[in-house]
Amino acid sequence: MSIQNLNTFDPFADAIKSSEDDVQDGLVHVRIQQRNGRKTLTTVQGLSSEYDLKKIVRACKKEFACNGTVVEHPEYGEVLQLQGDQRENICQWLTKSGLVKPEQLKVHGF
Amino acid sequence: MDEDMVFDPSLKKKKKKKTGFDIDAALAGDQGESTSVEAPAASGDVDLPEDDNLDLDNFGKKKKKKKKGVFNMEELENTMPETPPAEEQEPQEDDVIDDLDLEIDFSKTKKKKKKKNIEEPMIEDDIKGEDQENIEDTTGDWIGTDRDYTYDELLERVFDIMREKNPSMVSGKKQKFIMRPPQVVRIGTKKTSFANFTEICKTLHRQPKHLLDFLLAELGTSGSVDGNSQLIIKGRFQQKQIENVLRRYIKEYVTCHTCRSPDTILQKDTRLFFLQCETCGSRCSVASIKSGFQAVTGKRAAIRAKTA
Repeated sequence: MSIQNLNTFDPFADAIKSSEDDVQDGLVHVRIQQRNGRKTLTTVQGLSSEYDLKKIVRACKKEFACNGTVVEHPEYGEVLQLQGDQRENICQWLTKSGLVKPEQLKVHGF
Repeated sequence: MDEDMVFDPSLKKKKKKKTGFDIDAALAGDQGESTSVEAPAASGDVDLPEDDNLDLDNFGKKKKKKKKGVFNMEELENTMPETPPAEEQEPQEDDVIDDLDLEIDFSKTKKKKKKKNIEEPMIEDDIKGEDQENIEDTTGDWIGTDRDYTYDELLERVFDIMREKNPSMVSGKKQKFIMRPPQVVRIGTKKTSFANFTEICKTLHRQPKHLLDFLLAELGTSGSVDGNSQLIIKGRFQQKQIENVLRRYIKEYVTCHTCRSPDTILQKDTRLFFLQCETCGSRCSVASIKSGFQAVTGKRAAIRAKTA
């Protein structure tokens, strides 16, 4: 047992760390949108602009066997669009490739 | 003088005594004695193989409740020579569920929950029984005698008093937050009706507009409340999907982030929403509702015709 006040806990530790060696900051929102029929669209918003989104989308298209594109939005920057419900896939892929940390991912939709 | 302290049943005195107590000495004594004092309870545990995984359910809750206590519970917890570490190692098979549902019962659909409901009372009885034994073992010992009381005895006494004072803690579980499942019906092929939308808003004590904003932002569609106070959403959605979104809403905007109590008020203060808990009094800001990027899904020609 330790006295709480004397703990050597640095409250700014993670703040320093994230600013140093991480390109990705802020949340990555993964959303789903319904299209006509039972078709859907997955959008990935908030990926760091340091990443080459075109390369990412190219890899994703191949990996998930779907089409996709990068859309430029005045407010949200570059947004990834993938056809179909790729929320699971894209989350796994982004974390596995080390682009995004799991806690930075935020999945929306049903 | 010492004896006076012992017989004083009030909590406050106790607290003083605690803080004045030499913690390190207590710890040292505690480790030595814990084995002997807790031995009956431990052996009881061993006999019941299902005890562990059932305790798992209770463990998190117990901890929570303790935090509400007047005095520094973390210290107590650290010194408690009970089973928590072992429980933590248990594989949390329903971790995901636990994370999401936060005691929200959509009574019809949750089968797992129901099973727990049946099981839980039984364990609680077990625990209670154990506790009672312990108390009888330890509490009476020093009363009337001249010797110094041990840390364990005091600890037991504190918990005894705490259990007395708030019986809801004894049962070890929070009141379940039970709500009616959302009634979701398809209208035609393209629209979905959420029939008991206003009713759910009322049970959650939230403005319908706030929930509406959240639902539409999360589902990435448009919709409105019609004359019969039902919500019409564009797109096809099943009840399960709406439930998921509702669950997320409740987690973020209804249950207290500190104590998980659903007894909260959502206030708007300088453009930010704050969640004020009525149970523990904590107040924290919650994320604003943003719909984010919306891709063009309709016919572009039609949009162009509209804007031009």
